[in-house]
Amino acid sequence: MNTELFGFPTVNVWVDAIIRLHLIVGLMTVVVMGLIYIERKIIARFQMRLGPTRTGPLGLLQSLADALKLLGKEDLRPRNADPLIFEFAVYFVFVPVFMAFVAIPFAFDWNVRVLELGLFYVIAISSVNVVGWVMAGWSSDNRYAMIGALRAAAQGISYEVPLILAVLAVAMVAGSLNLNEITGQQGHIPFIVWQPLAFAIFYVAMLAELNRTPFDIPIGESEVVGGPFIEYSGIRWSMFFLAEYAGLFILCLLASAVFLGGWAWPLGEDAGFLWQIVLTSAKTGLLIFSVFWVRVTVPRMRIDQLMAFSWKVLMPLSFALILANGLILVYEWPDVFLLVPNVIGLVLLYVIVEHGVTRRRPRQLARPALEAEAAS
Amino acid sequence: MKGLLKSMATTLSTFARRPVTRKYPEGHKELPERDRAFPILLWDDHIDEPYCTGCHACERACPVECMTVLMKDNPNHESQGGTSRRRKIIDKFWIDYARCMRCNICVEVCNFEAIAMNNTWTGHELSVYDRSDLVMDLPQLLAQHRAGELDEWVADI
Repeated sequence: MNTELFGFPTVNVWVDAIIRLHLIVGLMTVVVMGLIYIERKIIARFQMRLGPTRTGPLGLLQSLADALKLLGKEDLRPRNADPLIFEFAVYFVFVPVFMAFVAIPFAFDWNVRVLELGLFYVIAISSVNVVGWVMAGWSSDNRYAMIGALRAAAQGISYEVPLILAVLAVAMVAGSLNLNEITGQQGHIPFIVWQPLAFAIFYVAMLAELNRTPFDIPIGESEVVGGPFIEYSGIRWSMFFLAEYAGLFILCLLASAVFLGGWAWPLGEDAGFLWQIVLTSAKTGLLIFSVFWVRVTVPRMRIDQLMAFSWKVLMPLSFALILANGLILVYEWPDVFLLVPNVIGLVLLYVIVEHGVTRRRPRQLARPALEAEAAS
Repeated sequence: MKGLLKSMATTLSTFARRPVTRKYPEGHKELPERDRAFPILLWDDHIDEPYCTGCHACERACPVECMTVLMKDNPNHESQGGTSRRRKIIDKFWIDYARCMRCNICVEVCNFEAIAMNNTWTGHELSVYDRSDLVMDLPQLLAQHRAGELDEWVADI
């Protein structure tokens, strides 16, 4: 059985699969190293520093040097750690991220595989890594790792829901789960125009999913000293790191494809392959930049704020959005009506963040009750 | 939320600003003209000899006793057929930079304005492998001003 691979018609299926997998892994590794370098540079500029400058021209080889250093380090495993789970946890974090890459469209009809349920597949596969986090935290036999893992699990599961619902809102409008089709429909107007609330929810949930500031509670250095990865070193640790940045890249790609019109907007399907790649990467780059920007700006949230924000704010809003979308789509009202729930939702979100749940202090006993407790 | 947006704008404005970092060994920050590194001796270009007469004023005033001064008769004095009006002149001068605390007192007490605090980067970049290399002798102390490598402010004293 033969398949077509980038225009070369006769390639054995297995060879084809192997080549594609190697392309993914190679590309991801390079992209991650680039991302780490770019993040360091950008954050340095935000703090009016220079960032890496010594390794190679403009410090370009910094990531390579780091990678080599990490490869050379000893791969330690604590004596009390569960050997099997400890060592396999890495793959549960690492592999899903790469598998998610399969369905992401870069240009017209140019993914690794065009999947009919691409969106569903990406979302499903990218939530598997929570399992890896919990495995890592649990098997390390370290309290900080354990706490970090539990936080990661709570956060990952909580924010998975608004993330999925936000994407679902777009899928409803698009009427498809095929990422290529969703992107292709945005030739003239990207979905962020019709679904700004969905994008806002998706963005926040994405930050939380990726454990980036302000939601870096599971790996908060000052609280749980690195969370589930405390006991990892050398190559295993670097694989966690790789997965983190690869996840950032993939979710930004997904956001750019689903909300910003990926390769399609504003040039449409007929633009050349190169233009489409440029568009995709520009949008993704913009999103990644904004993630870094948020990272240097916002301090870490408290865990109760985080959970409250997900369950009390994002979740009802996204449910309401889906309900409203459903109504509008079922009765086939004009597209402009889609904006109404979104704008209302955005205003609500603004008001809530300004005055609402997240600003309240954690629930405490009333003063007399506290004193009575102290006395007893 | 308002605060959030405001802080985002603030960080973006810092992003647009130039980095304040200097790549130190290659590039130096400009020093203020009254920057106070270690004391050096000044060179009288008109007569081609040091200003210092070896009067021991600085040596006596030095709180950490980092100086050693030896005086001699000036061979270039007018009475000897020379051009200088200095009867006595410095013979040997040592300053232990490892000991000096850069208090500026030697400069204050000097009657001949023959000593000044170095205000250039060479006064700061003095790392050596041996402490004894930080004891500067007369030629070393005079060299910088003699070569005209001192910033104006000190040279004009």
